[in-house]
This record gives sequence, C-alpha cells and structure tokens, in this order.
Amino acid sequence: MSSTSNAPPGNNRVRIVVATSVMLTFISYWRAAAVILNDLGSSAFYAGGIAEQAIGKSAPWFVLGVMLFAFAVRAVYVESCSMFVRGGVYRVVKEALGGTLAKFSVSALMFDYILTGPVSGVSAGQYIAGLINDTIAIADAHGWIPSAVHHLFNGTPQVGVNGTAVVFAIAVTLYFWWENIKGIEESSEKALWVMQITTVMVVMLIGWSLFTLLKVGGHLPPFPTLANIHYSDESLGFWKHSKLPHMFGILGLIIGFGHSVLAMSGEESLAQVYRELAHPKLKNLKRTAIVIGIYSFVFTGLVSLLAVMLIPDDVRVKVYSDNLIAGLAMNMVGPEVLRLAFRAFVVVVGFLILSGAVNTAIVGSNGVLNRVSEDGVLADWFRRPHKKYGTTYRIINLIVGLQLFTIIVSWGNIYTLGEAYAFGVVWSFVFKTISMLVLRYRYKGERNWKVPPNLHIFGIEIPIGLASVGMVLLSTAIVNLFTKSVATVSGIIFSVIFFSIFSFSERVNRRKHAHSAAQMKEQFQLQQAESVQRETVGIRTNNVLVPVRDYNTLNHLKWVLDRTDTRAQDVVVMSARISQFGTAAYGLSTEQVFSDYEQTLFTRAVSVAESFGKKISLLVVPARDPWSAIAQTAHNLESSAVVSGVSSKMTTAEQAFNLGSAWEAIPEPKRQFLLQIVQPNGNVDTFRIGPHTPTMKNEDVELLHRLWLNITREPGLENLHHHDILAEALTRLENDYAAAGHADIVRELRRNADGGPMPARLIADQVHTVESEASDRTNGDDKQRDETSSNPKITGPE
Amino acid sequence: MSLSVILIKIIEFMFVAGWIGSAIVLVLTGIEDVGTLLDRKDEKSH
Repeated sequence: MSSTSNAPPGNNRVRIVVATSVMLTFISYWRAAAVILNDLGSSAFYAGGIAEQAIGKSAPWFVLGVMLFAFAVRAVYVESCSMFVRGGVYRVVKEALGGTLAKFSVSALMFDYILTGPVSGVSAGQYIAGLINDTIAIADAHGWIPSAVHHLFNGTPQVGVNGTAVVFAIAVTLYFWWENIKGIEESSEKALWVMQITTVMVVMLIGWSLFTLLKVGGHLPPFPTLANIHYSDESLGFWKHSKLPHMFGILGLIIGFGHSVLAMSGEESLAQVYRELAHPKLKNLKRTAIVIGIYSFVFTGLVSLLAVMLIPDDVRVKVYSDNLIAGLAMNMVGPEVLRLAFRAFVVVVGFLILSGAVNTAIVGSNGVLNRVSEDGVLADWFRRPHKKYGTTYRIINLIVGLQLFTIIVSWGNIYTLGEAYAFGVVWSFVFKTISMLVLRYRYKGERNWKVPPNLHIFGIEIPIGLASVGMVLLSTAIVNLFTKSVATVSGIIFSVIFFSIFSFSERVNRRKHAHSAAQMKEQFQLQQAESVQRETVGIRTNNVLVPVRDYNTLNHLKWVLDRTDTRAQDVVVMSARISQFGTAAYGLSTEQVFSDYEQTLFTRAVSVAESFGKKISLLVVPARDPWSAIAQTAHNLESSAVVSGVSSKMTTAEQAFNLGSAWEAIPEPKRQFLLQIVQPNGNVDTFRIGPHTPTMKNEDVELLHRLWLNITREPGLENLHHHDILAEALTRLENDYAAAGHADIVRELRRNADGGPMPARLIADQVHTVESEASDRTNGDDKQRDETSSNPKITGPE
Repeated sequence: MSLSVILIKIIEFMFVAGWIGSAIVLVLTGIEDVGTLLDRKDEKSH
C-alpha cells in the first residue's frame, strides 16, 4: 500500500497512532467549582420546598444534615479520583463489581441525569409563573387591572402554574436539544459567570433575610424528632397504611433524610471535572470540594432554614413550596416594589442556573451514553454522527425524548419529579461507595488519598470512614425504596429497561465487533500512545497537519497532496475524536477512540493518498475541543502548517480565531504555524497562528527609511539600525497607549483602518496572534487568496 | 419481634453507626481542608 508510513517490515497494514488521552484545556479549581455548582446549586431552588411537603416544618434540619453529609460523600469522590483520573461511577463500579452491576449503576445514573432536566426546567417555569401571578395580583390590589379584564377572567387574571411550567420546561429542553444537536460549546467561563451572578443573589438574599430576622424576629423550625415529623400522604409510599414509620424514631429520621437527599444531586460532576483540573490536580480537587461544599451548605441549607423562619406557615407550603426563594424574597422587610424587583432578580438567576442544569442533564447523559456506547454496551447505531454537525444526535434525541415524556407525564408536579430524582441520586452514590469499599481490598494500583479514618488490625485495613458513608447511603436508599413508591416503580422500570438495552446491545456488538475487528486488523494496525509526540508518529519536523472529520469532504487533503512532495515533507492526517464533558472523565481504550467511523474516515483518506501515490501518516486524538486538539497536535508534532477544510458552522476568520485562541492556551515555549483553509471552490485563506513579523506596506518602509536617514545624521547615532527606530516607535506607542489618553490612538487607528473594521480584522484585534498575511499587505482584503491555478508551497513560519 | 422490625432495627443501626463514622470523617477531612485552604503557594488566579 503506497500510503503506508512506517509500517514494520513485512507488514503492509496502514499504521494509525491512536492517542488515548483526551486533549483538554485545564481549568482552575474556581472554574471547576463553578461548573459543578451550576448543577449542585440549582437544587437550592426546589429541594427545601419538596422536603417540607414530604415531612413538614422540620425539613430544613434534614436539608442541612444532607448538605453536611455531602462533605463526607465528597471525600469518597476525592478518593476515587486519586485512584482513577477518570473516576466516574461506571469506571469505578466496573472495576470493583464487574460489568453487570456497572450497567445497573449507569442505569441509575441515567435516571438521575434524565430527571435533572425536567425537574430543573419545571422548577424554573414554576418560578416564572409564580412571578407573573404575584405581579398581576399586586397590580390588581392597586386597581391597575381594568374591570373588563377582571370580568373576562372571573376575578384576578392568573396563569396556570403547572401548565406554564410544563410549556416553559418543554421550550427550554427543545432549545438545548437543538444546541446539543448543533454541538454546543461548553465553557467554564459561562459557568463562572452564572455563579458570579448567583453569588450576588445569595449574598443579597442572606443579608436581607438576616436583617429581616433582626427587625421582625423569627423562630427556628421544630427540631427533627418523631413528634415533629409530619408525613404527607405521598411521603410514606408503600408504608402509607403501615404503623412502622410511626413506631421508630430513627426510622423517621431516615425517612426525612431520604426525602431531602436530592439536595446533594450533582456530586457526580466532581469526578467528571477532575480530568480537566489544572496541576496540582488532587490538591485542586480538594479545594474544589471545599468550595462547592461550603457554597451549597450556605445556599441550599441556609436558604431552606431562612425560608421556614421568615415565610408565614399559611403561605409557605400552599403558595411558595415550589418557589421557596421567591417566597423568601416577598417576605422580607422593605417596600413592596423593592421586594418584587428582588424576586424578579431571583427568577432571572433561577432561570439561568436551572436552564443551565437542563443543558448539563443533556450533556451529561449524552456523555455517559457515549461512554458506555464506546465500551460496546450500546449499539453503534446510536453513535452515528449527525451528517452536518457530527454530533451523536440519536443519543441526544433519545435523552430529550425521555425528558419530554417525563415533563408531560408529571405535568409540572415538581414534588413527583423531585421524589423520582432522589432515586437515581442515592442509588448511584450507593453503587459508587460500595465499589470504593470493594476496591480497598481489590485495587493494588496508585491511591494518593484515602477517606479517613482507617484502622489496621493484624495487617488488615478497616476503612471506617468509607464504610460509614456507605452505611448511611445504603440505609437511606433501602428506606427510600419503601417510602417513595413513584420513584421506586419508575426508577426500577427505567433501570431495568436501560439495563436490558445495554445487555442486548452488548451481545449484538460483541458478535459484530469480532467480525469488524478481524476486518480492521487486515487493514489497519493501531498503535496506542498516551500522548501525541512526533517520534511516536514517526515524522519529521515542519510537517503538514491535515485535520479531517467528514469522509465526504476531503478536498483539503487532496489540495495538500497535490502540492506536497511527501519525500521532503510529511503529511499527517488527524481526526479529533470529540469526547463530551462526561466521557472525558473516563478512561479510553484504543477501541473506544478508534470506532468504525474513524475506520471509514481513514479508509477514505488512505484511498485519496493512494490515488496521488503519496504517503500519509494517520493519527486519532481524543479531545474535548477540536481547536485545542489541532493546536496542541500541531505544537507537539512541530508542524509548519495546518490545512483544514471550511467549517459548516463558521467563517474562515472565525476558524482562525478559534485556532488562535487554542494556540494562546498552549504553554510557552511554542512555535508558530500557518493555517490554510481550503474552500470548496479551491480558494485558500491563509492565516498565521502566533506572533510574526508583519508584512509592511511600501510607504511604511519608505517612512521608516526616511526617519532612519534623518536620525542617523544626529551626532552619535551614525550606527543606528532600522529596527532601533521601529523599537523606539513601538515603545512610545506602548507608553502612550497605557496612558490615560489612549482613546485618541484607538480613534486614529480606526480612522486609518481601510474600509472600516471587517469581521476578521476585529477578530485579529482581539487575538493578536491570528492575523491574516494579506491584511498587512493589501488594503481592504483580509485574506491572502491562493487561486487553484497557482501552486503555493506549504511553508514553515518565518 | 417480627422480621420487618428486626430489619428496621438493622437499618437504624446502620444509619446511626454510619452517621457517627461520617461525623469523624467530617472532622478529620475538615482539619485537612483548613490546611489545604491555608496552603496557597501553588494556587493560581482564575
């Protein structure tokens, strides 16, 4: 095969280097905490209300207890991450208890994730509907509602809270469905921004509530004793007619605890962000755990407590149980208009954080299903990429379909949704903790941290801390099976269905993969490598990197092969295997990274190379973000050029901007390279990635020369160089720009910019490393155009 | 004593013993957390 590169003697299969480590941009612990809190913090909006509906006025103590206990659960996650960099439930349970229980644990986790969307969407809808109704009621009280409207609605006009919540939840779910189909870009920046706004709200809420308490006073909720726990009809489930819950004090505590456990949903995200945490990872994970622990304790725990202390009993459950924070806002001291304005702010924040949780639910479940699909327990059919956007749209459709079904079936009943949600939350924790206990004895690999305390008796370790956390979780989960009938029935049905799908798919896939693996082995030789290095791929420096994604659009590869002498310059064809947020948290094997899609893609690429009779090297890189993957690969391989096709989603200038931003994130020292984007009509846009010597206009060169002639006439400056003058001019510009009057400079530069600020020019202004060659050289044209008739050499950076 | 009562007693024991152990976890990890928070030498700005 002519396109084989570096194949061992006697082996004519095409060698593909498969990098098994996902390329990530590492984030600080603050950002990691923000990502987790977007999920964990959202439960503050509904957990307290749901708990009080189930067990009465002493609910805040249970919520506080759950938030306190969450610190101990976090310790379990820290230990699992200290063992596996991608220490999610599936990986840990599979390692400890085997594939069958891992499939069950993932089913429970999926139940959790799928319910996160509806519960968050409906909750946001309840807050919005509540605000609309209260605003109308206040307006009516002031006589601002015309009597005609009054007659029309037979009283004060009100929107149906549950109906509005359902419509809103469906709309938000559909919005994020479409965003995920298109391939949403997750950003810790966005999460941080949402958490900053939420923090402003939390500080105002707690400050104002404490001030109100000082002014009007308040009473602590009744302490959690059997006498103070008042079960609702739904809260005892299968024990509704049993005397048992009323006979045992501690059982009552467990029931109360079980009804509040959903307050700590979102902890699993801790394992998922660990992979992306910056160095020192374990220490930063602990810091993240502390931040989310304190934040959620204050937000969810304290707000639930203050709500019971400040909102009068007659309206708290009746009016505000589904939008407790809004109720808190309306029951503080101060003018009504100010309270209403603050309530609107609460609703805006709720909308942001709860909508974010809807998206997290889709992204998270897509990640988990992608992960299990890659492990062969979900049919490949689900993983087929979208023709236009390349996303796993069938998995997304399945998840969103289930979420919409849940929203409609529940018809906006947040209590039912929350109860069911707790099933997935608590059972995924139980599986995880029991697995960690088993791994204390079975796992012999590296473990940098252990949940304390641990006793050693006759050389045998007794993990007291881990076992204790497991006992609390298991006892709560067992009691929940009896007290949450809807959750138990729906959770078991859901888990059994998912488990059956996983098991059936696994059996089908095993047969199918055995056949395709045999086929693939005839064609490709996969070489696993932890990271991408030039030596591993076996290529020289100044090579050309060609990212490919769709096997139907390989024109840019043809363009490169047409112009490159591969005896002098290597061509590397690279596919970035995009791993979603969830999958990045798990370990990847060669088979997971190199699927049958990559097989088809590379078969086509090899066939193109063969048609040119030229050699190419093949590479698969798992990554969270394609731009980081390309930039990091080009950096590691010491490529001189990256040649890409045109994106269906963005302009070439935007492509260059994204690659430039990814290049900026690479630590120094780093090398520059050329980005050439080949359009379908054969035109090529060329950009330089990284700072470079600009191409100067003739008049600028003349001006520089004139200055040099004049200045060298000055005594003592005879030996001055042109670059000394440029350096002086730039230093002066830098100083002027830093000074207060830099607006003049900006204005002048704008005036001098020919043809006004073009999009690409604006982008280049923002990221100085991305700059079009031609924009320096010519007026008005941002890009250097290489016509197909010309034969430009692909060159390295100057 | 019926079987369900015995089972509930076991569950109650698990819950109480688990909470006592978890309280020790909270204290020990809390002490460690204070150390982690005070050790800022490798902390980077977000």
